[in-house]
Amino acid sequence: MIRRKQAINAFLNAFLISFCAIMLFPVIYAILVSLHRPGYGFFSIIPDIWTLENYNRLFVYGKFPRYILNSVINAGGGALVSTMLATLAAYAFARLEFKGKKIMNAFVLGMMMLPGLVSIIPIYRIASDLKLLNTYTLMIAVFGAYGIPLAIWIMKGFFESIPRALEEAAAIDGATPVQTFWQIVLPLTTPGLIATFLINFVYSWNNFFTPLVLISKTDMKMATVGLFDFQHVLEGNQDELLAAACVVIMVPAIVLFLVTREYFMRGMVEGAVKG
Amino acid sequence: MKNKNSFYPYLLTLPAILFLMLVSLYPTLYSFYLSMTRSKQGITEFVGLRNYEVILRSSDFRQSLQLTIIFTVFYVFLTVAIAYILALMLNRGLRLTGIYMTIIFLPWVLSEITSGVVWRWMFYQDYGILQNLIGPILGGKAIITTNWGAMAIVITATTWRSISFAMLLLLAGLQTVPREIYEAASIDGSGGWSTFWRITWPLVRPTTIVTIVFITIQAINGVGMVLAITEGGPGRATEILGVHMYREAMEFFNFGYAAALSVVLLIINIILAAFYLRSMQQESALAS
Repeated sequence: MIRRKQAINAFLNAFLISFCAIMLFPVIYAILVSLHRPGYGFFSIIPDIWTLENYNRLFVYGKFPRYILNSVINAGGGALVSTMLATLAAYAFARLEFKGKKIMNAFVLGMMMLPGLVSIIPIYRIASDLKLLNTYTLMIAVFGAYGIPLAIWIMKGFFESIPRALEEAAAIDGATPVQTFWQIVLPLTTPGLIATFLINFVYSWNNFFTPLVLISKTDMKMATVGLFDFQHVLEGNQDELLAAACVVIMVPAIVLFLVTREYFMRGMVEGAVKG
Repeated sequence: MKNKNSFYPYLLTLPAILFLMLVSLYPTLYSFYLSMTRSKQGITEFVGLRNYEVILRSSDFRQSLQLTIIFTVFYVFLTVAIAYILALMLNRGLRLTGIYMTIIFLPWVLSEITSGVVWRWMFYQDYGILQNLIGPILGGKAIITTNWGAMAIVITATTWRSISFAMLLLLAGLQTVPREIYEAASIDGSGGWSTFWRITWPLVRPTTIVTIVFITIQAINGVGMVLAITEGGPGRATEILGVHMYREAMEFFNFGYAAALSVVLLIINIILAAFYLRSMQQESALAS
C-alpha cells in the first residue's frame, strides 16, 4: 500500500515537473533570446556567445527609458490612489455599522465585476472632451479606480484579522476613533498596505490594453505599449533586442509577485469567490 | 462601536465610493448616451437606436460573435479541464506543492503583451520553435497565418495564462471536502476512479460551476492577448468582440458603433454576473 502511494507520488511529481517546465518555457525562452549577440536571435535557442549587450542597446533605443518612467509613474500613482482610498473604506466596512453599508458593499462588488473593456470607449471620449488624453492624471485616475474594489477586499481581510479588543482598549483609554485608526490599527496593517500597493502596482504595470487606447503620444506611452510598437518594428530582424525589452518588463512583475505571493493568491481567490 | 449616527463612516467610505462613481460608473452610463450618437468631423449628432440596428444587421458583428463563442468554448473547456486535473494532483499534499503553484502562477503575472510577443515567436514563420515542431505535421504552412491556426494559438496562449486562476479556485473547493469522507470511501473499498465520480465530483461541482462562469467572463472580455498575438488577424479570423470594438473605435473612429458594442458587452456581462452570483450563493449554501 505504502509502496503504491510512493509510486503514484513519483509519477505525479514527474508529471508536475514537466508541466511546470512547459508553463515556464516562454519566460526562459525570452531570457535566452535576449542574451544572444545582436543579429543572432534565433539561430539557436542557446546563445553561441552570451552577452548583455542588448540591455545596453535597449537603454538608448527609442524612448524605452522614458516608457519605463511613465509606467512607474502611472502604476505607482494608481496604486497609491487605490491603496489610500480603499484602506479608509475597508476599515469602515470591516469595523463600523452605518446606514447604506450594504448598498455600498454591493456597489463595490458591482464595480469589481465591471470589466475595463466595457468602460474604455466612453472613458476615451470623456477624456478627449476634457483634454485629458495622454496625461498622467488620466492614467492614475483610471488605474486608481480599477484597483479600488480588489484593494478593499484585501484590506478588509487584514482589518478583520486584528483583534477588536485592541481598539476597545484604546477607546477605554480615551482615544478618539480617528486616533485609534491612525495610531493603533494602521501600523498593525502595514504588511497589508504594502501588499495591496504592490499587487495594484503589478496589475497596472502589466496593463496593456488601457494605455493602448488612452495614450497615443510617444512621450507618454507606457512600457507595455512601447513593447507593442517595438514588436512591429523589431520582430524578425532584431528579436534579441525585443526579447530584452520583454525581460525588463517581466522581471519587476515577477519579483514583486514572489515577494507578495501569499497575499497575491489569497487576494485573487477572495476577490473572485467571497464577493 | 457606537458610530451608528456619526458622519465618521461616511468620511471613510465616500472618497472611494465617489471616486468609483466618477471614474467607473459614470463612463459606463455615458456609453448608453454615446451609443445613440454619431460623430462626423468633430460634430456629434443624436441618431437614436441606429447604431444598434447597424450592429444587428452587420455581418462583421455576427462573425465576431461566432468567433467569440468558439474562442470562449475552447478556452473555458481547456482551462477548467487542465486546472481541474492540476488541482486534484496538488490536493494530495505533495512536498513541492508550493513551488509547483508558484511556477504555474507565473504566466498570470506577466503582461499580456510580453506573453504575446513570446507566443508569436514560438510560431514565427522560419525559426519559431513550435512552428518547426508542429508545422510539418500540418503541411508546413505558417500556422499563425491560417485562420484556424491563429485561433488555436490564441486559445492556447490565453489558456496558458489563466490556468492558475482556475486551479486556485478549484483547489480551494477541493480542500473543503473533509478527509474523513475519502478515508471512509477507501475503507469501503472504493477505488480512485469511483471515489472521484461518486464523492469528489459531486461535492466540488458548485465550485466547478463558479470557476466555469468566472473563466467565461474572462473569455467574453478578452482582448489584450489577441491584440498582442494576432491583432485580430489574419483578416478577421481572431477578431473576437473586444478586438472588434477596439478596431471600430481606434482604427475607424466609429465611436457610436463601438459604444453600442460596449453596451452589448455590458449586458452580456450583467447576465453572466447574475449567473456567477447565483452559483456562488449555491456554493456557500452547500458549504455551510
